[in-house]
Amino acid sequence: MWSKRTQDEPAQTPQRPSIPPSSNPVEPQRREIGSIPSTGRSFEPESGVVRSGTAALGKNVTVKGQIFAREDLTIDGEVEGTIECHDHRLTIGPNARVQASLKAREIIIHGSIQGNVESTDKIDIKKEAKLVGDIKTSRIVIEDGAYFKGSIDISKATQSKQAAPPIVVNQPSTAAVAAAPARENATGTVSSAK
Amino acid sequence: MIFGSKGVSAKSESGSGTIVRHSSGFEQFCGAMDTGETQTVLDISGASQANIMFITGLGHRISSDDMLETMEDCFGKDFIEGQQSAAKAQRFLDQALAFPDQSFDGALVWDSLQYLATPVIEQTVERLLRVMRPGGYILAFFNANEKSGRLPVYNYRIQDRKTILQVPRADMTQRSQFFPNRTIEQLFQQAASLKFFLTRGSSREVLIRR
Repeated sequence: MWSKRTQDEPAQTPQRPSIPPSSNPVEPQRREIGSIPSTGRSFEPESGVVRSGTAALGKNVTVKGQIFAREDLTIDGEVEGTIECHDHRLTIGPNARVQASLKAREIIIHGSIQGNVESTDKIDIKKEAKLVGDIKTSRIVIEDGAYFKGSIDISKATQSKQAAPPIVVNQPSTAAVAAAPARENATGTVSSAK
Repeated sequence: MIFGSKGVSAKSESGSGTIVRHSSGFEQFCGAMDTGETQTVLDISGASQANIMFITGLGHRISSDDMLETMEDCFGKDFIEGQQSAAKAQRFLDQALAFPDQSFDGALVWDSLQYLATPVIEQTVERLLRVMRPGGYILAFFNANEKSGRLPVYNYRIQDRKTILQVPRADMTQRSQFFPNRTIEQLFQQAASLKFFLTRGSSREVLIRR
């Protein structure tokens, strides 16, 4: 009798069946942007590996509208509208063609941008980049050979930052970044063409 | 007025073709920008880290443009020959210095104007004066050597208030034009004043006040 009851117990426990992550209606949309396969020359940011916790928009993707990301974002496709990654890094890949205003903590530009660019920390314009628009930032690094047409406004945060003594902050571990949930939101039209 | 540039010298950095030189014109330009207020400076030698850091380090705002890139885009390999085409000349004028009137307190034109021929140069200077605020300063360099054939094209990088670097622009050379003082005075006849600085090289520096 006792042994029979013990055997029955496992069958009664799954009264609330666990939903596999893939059946979550929100998840497929989140993964869609990063999982679109790109053909031809692919762009892998700096380390050569796409980091966990970084959203990516492939070279065959076109977005018209607003992109708002709460994690690092890499764009290698076509965007028309606005891109905001407050407190995070935005990377514009070499294949990117962006006609948008950009706002992020840090912006790294390899591709082509037409629009105003605003960063709270640093803007890094690589030699192959082409930027037509006004820049507002605390720090700027521009490689020789980069094409830039527009004005640069170094915000006052720079001066206070430079004057302040350096603060050492422990960087979050890769594991912690990887565990952070993806929360990017994209509104507008997303289309993929091969 | 012609001012002698005592101590003006040019030396080539080994192998690279880069020339380091003292510039009295630039020194005076910096002095003119020291008003205690934030000035807006246009640099048309292409964007560079050195120039951006120097100008913003003085507390000024900088706008970058690359007029030589526009010339290459519109006129092709030979700038002077390309300007013979009215369509190409018009395309250049449509793109060059496309800024609102009275946008800048200072403009670093470097030697870009010396690659323009009549009538494009007159129209470009007219536009340049228009985008400057009254009392604003323009620094321009012109070839002063009548016998020079083709000249290397340089990007100009600021080292300090007195020193500039001339960095060759990807082995590009262009036919030179000779600019006597009288020609420069006529070009900027609408300006309030002109100051000429003689250099030991083949360049003539001019500080123009709008």
